[in-house]
Order: sequence, then structure tokens, then C-alpha cells
Amino acid sequence: MGPRWKGKGAEARALADPMSEIVSRLKSSLIESNAHGLLSGCSVLLAAEAVQSDLLNRACFGRPVVTAEKDEQWFQLSMEEAFYLCFTLKCLSIHGGDNCRKTDEELWKYMTEKKSTFPEFFKAYAHLRMKNWVVRSGSQYGVEYVAYRHHPSLVHSEYAVLISTEGDGGENGRLRVWSDVHCTVRLCGSVAKALLVLYIGKCGKGDTSPSCVTLYSVEERVVARWSPKDCREDQSDRP
Amino acid sequence: MSKMDSEDWDRLSSDPDLLEQDLQDEEEYNYTSNSSSKLQFRKVTSVARWSSSVGMSEVVERKGQLWTTTGIVRSGKLYCSIEETLFFMEIGALLLLSENDQSVSLETMYQQLTEEKDGCCWELYEVYRHLKSLGYIVGRHDIPWSLKSVKRNTGTVSSEGTSESLEVHSARDCNSITERFVKMDLNELKLVFDVYFPNGKFRKSSPGEPSYVLCLIRGQPPSKIEIEILERQCGDIPLKFCLVEHGRVSFYSFSKVELPVLP
Repeated sequence: MGPRWKGKGAEARALADPMSEIVSRLKSSLIESNAHGLLSGCSVLLAAEAVQSDLLNRACFGRPVVTAEKDEQWFQLSMEEAFYLCFTLKCLSIHGGDNCRKTDEELWKYMTEKKSTFPEFFKAYAHLRMKNWVVRSGSQYGVEYVAYRHHPSLVHSEYAVLISTEGDGGENGRLRVWSDVHCTVRLCGSVAKALLVLYIGKCGKGDTSPSCVTLYSVEERVVARWSPKDCREDQSDRP
Repeated sequence: MSKMDSEDWDRLSSDPDLLEQDLQDEEEYNYTSNSSSKLQFRKVTSVARWSSSVGMSEVVERKGQLWTTTGIVRSGKLYCSIEETLFFMEIGALLLLSENDQSVSLETMYQQLTEEKDGCCWELYEVYRHLKSLGYIVGRHDIPWSLKSVKRNTGTVSSEGTSESLEVHSARDCNSITERFVKMDLNELKLVFDVYFPNGKFRKSSPGEPSYVLCLIRGQPPSKIEIEILERQCGDIPLKFCLVEHGRVSFYSFSKVELPVLP
């Protein structure tokens, strides 16, 4: 199943405007403005002026928070998005309620306490983002993420992403029984997405510090159902 | 690009015209694997004799084209596994005789299958029947269809006389085939069938590589390690897991991919 571009010219527009460059411009803009986000619950709130706002939207980080404010657009970033900007791209600092800047280690501790599966979820998120895929929440499809080749206005997402960790606690608990496989594959199929499972290997590195994550392994596999009824044309005519 | 509000995100993420795809999917799910209504009952009957020493039947009277894609050839004779025998008995294309030439009933063969001594079990038979009914060519994994294909692969230079070592006495060879399955550990994951797409030009002497290799699985979905171990045994041939639940056969692949790095 290849990419499904939305309308004529979408693919060309995407090619002309590579995601890596959009993200790069976003990074520069955030650094220049000394951007800082506010850690609140499981989100990071970020106020952005017009240009930054546009870049955040184009790079698909965060969800806009609708307010009456005219000068600033508030964005709500997920923990993965915020940590990616902060720790991987190093373009955002994150402050707590006391307005003190949190270190990477403090953020990591906070986020892993909020969600025990944060280490593998973050690894999966970062793995795809670093390949310049757009990664958004997949909760409406019962998966972790959905991955797009470019902005969602230009292309449908191709992959519904689930995370699998083997043993060692912190297990995500998906695809442990066949009914879950049947259910998830069917659902993905009905929305024309392939089910991509990211197997995260912690390699005995544990998850006590963010630097552990850079040493995790990621293996990509697509889980698909084969219907022998649908594809049995006589192969004898093939060269 | 215009500002996106949260509703825009939701709208862009869903796709109403995919509902049709879902309906087609629905149809497919109502198709039962035990599609007896689609089986063509044959008018022409072949005859085979069951040999309990090898756990296979020897075809003594071949009728029809089905034998080009069924059974293994050893020393010029044609032998069928229990699943092949059962399938053709079920569709009325095979009359099975016992060693003393008595007609063997379907019930007797179902009982034989229950004993699981001939390298097969009910679930494996369901998989075999499902694929065979759809026209696929199915053989036990790693069992040559004919020793001529083995000869070819080992690159024997002379075609006559010198290949005695490869011409195994048929009974002995058959024994070793079933021996592999004698202790069927139902929990052990192993490759069971080689599957070829329907092919009017299939030849046992040079079948080519199968399209898929199947592994029967029960219990839980395979772990990453289990998948890797099995893949190594398959070489380049795609691996599929088959699962039988309530008489319904499903096939899944867990294929390794590499998402491209995008511009």
C-alpha cells in the first residue's frame, strides 16, 4: 500500500517542501526566541507568535489551543513531542510551575512517572521523527501513533503504529492475544492503514535516564492478514 | 498553510469513503473456511491403498489432472500424505483401500487423523483443505515433490545410472518423511507447509521455490524472537502464520520492513 496523496499536486508540494527543512526552520525559530514551554500534567503548553505558530502547524507538533488571544497562539504538546523538541532537537526548554527550567533528567523522571511506558513510546516517536515522518496520536484508531509521509492535509497516513516491548516490565500489553491481532489488523485495514509494530529492545540499558533511550534498538514489522481467496490468479502466465 | 483547529485535525484524519472498504471486508468475514458449497465434487475417481507402515497412501489408479499437483513421487510411484488422502476422499475423487483391499471409510480416516501418527492433526488438515479448495498447491515443508528435483539441485552431471544414491527405496524414504513429524509437539512452532500459487504449469520435477512457507500457531501471537528463528529457516521465502479458531483459518505475516528516511 503506497502513499495516498490528497488531490492533484499534493505529492509535488510535499517534494518541494521537505519535512526535514520545515522541522529545521522550526528548530531555528525556537532557539532564536529562547522558547520555553510550561509543563502541566501530561502536556507542555507553548505560546507561539505568528511565524512559529505556522511552523509548528506545518511540522505537526502540538495541537492548537483555541483562545481569544490575538498576538499569541497557544499550543499543547504531548510529552513525546515536547521531549523530542527539548532533548533530541535541543530547541525548547521546559519549565515547571515554579518557572524553573527542568533538566533533561528531571523531565525524564517526571514523564516516566506519569507513564511507565514513556521510554519505549518516546523511542518509537523519535525513531520515526528522525526519519522525517510526521507522527501523531493514533488513539482514535486504538493504536499509539499514526505516521504520515508529510503534512496530513497533503497525504493520508499509511501506518498505524503499535509498540511492542519484550519482557523486562514496562510491557505495552498489545498483540499478546490473537483477538487483539484480528481486531487491530481489521480496524487498520478499514481505514486503509498498514499495522506497523515497532519492537523496542532495551538491550539491558534500563530506563532510568534519557540517554539510555538512544541505545535502544528498534525493529519495524508490518502485521498483515493474508486472504488466500483474494489473490490466487494463475501464476503460470507470469514470466 | 492556514491555521488548523482541533476539528480540522479530526476531519483530516478520518475518511468517509473508506466505509465501502469496510463493507467489503464484512463480506469476506462471512465467508467460511469450510466452503463445502464451493467444492466441486468429482465424478472421476482415482484409487489408492493405505500403507500403515509409512503412514501414506499409494495411488494405484490415477484419474484426472489433480495428480500433477498432489502427492510425492518416489521410484516412479505416487504417494499421498494423510491430508491429501482425506481431502480427495472428502470430495469424492479418491477411493481408498486398506492393505487387504477393503474400502476404507471417511470415518476411519478421520479416526486415523485423530491419532496424529502420520504427521498431521485436525487443525493442519483444516489449513490444507482451505488452501487446496482455493486451488493452491500445498506440500509438506521441505519434502521434495520428486527426487528428480533434488537431483537437479545437487547438480548431478549424468542423468542415468549414477544417481543410485539418491534413488531411495520408496518405503524407507517415506518412513523418514513421516518420522520428522512423529512426535508432534503441538506447542512447538515449526514450518509445516510449502504453498505455491495456483499454477497450471506446475511440475513436480522442478516446482521452483514456494510462494510462502506456513507455520501453524496456537496460543499466543509469536514473539519477535520466535519470528526471527522461523524466518531464518525459511531463507528468502515469505513466512506466514496460520491460525485455526472455531473452524476458521486465518493467515498473518509479521514482515520485517524498513521505512524510508524521507526528504
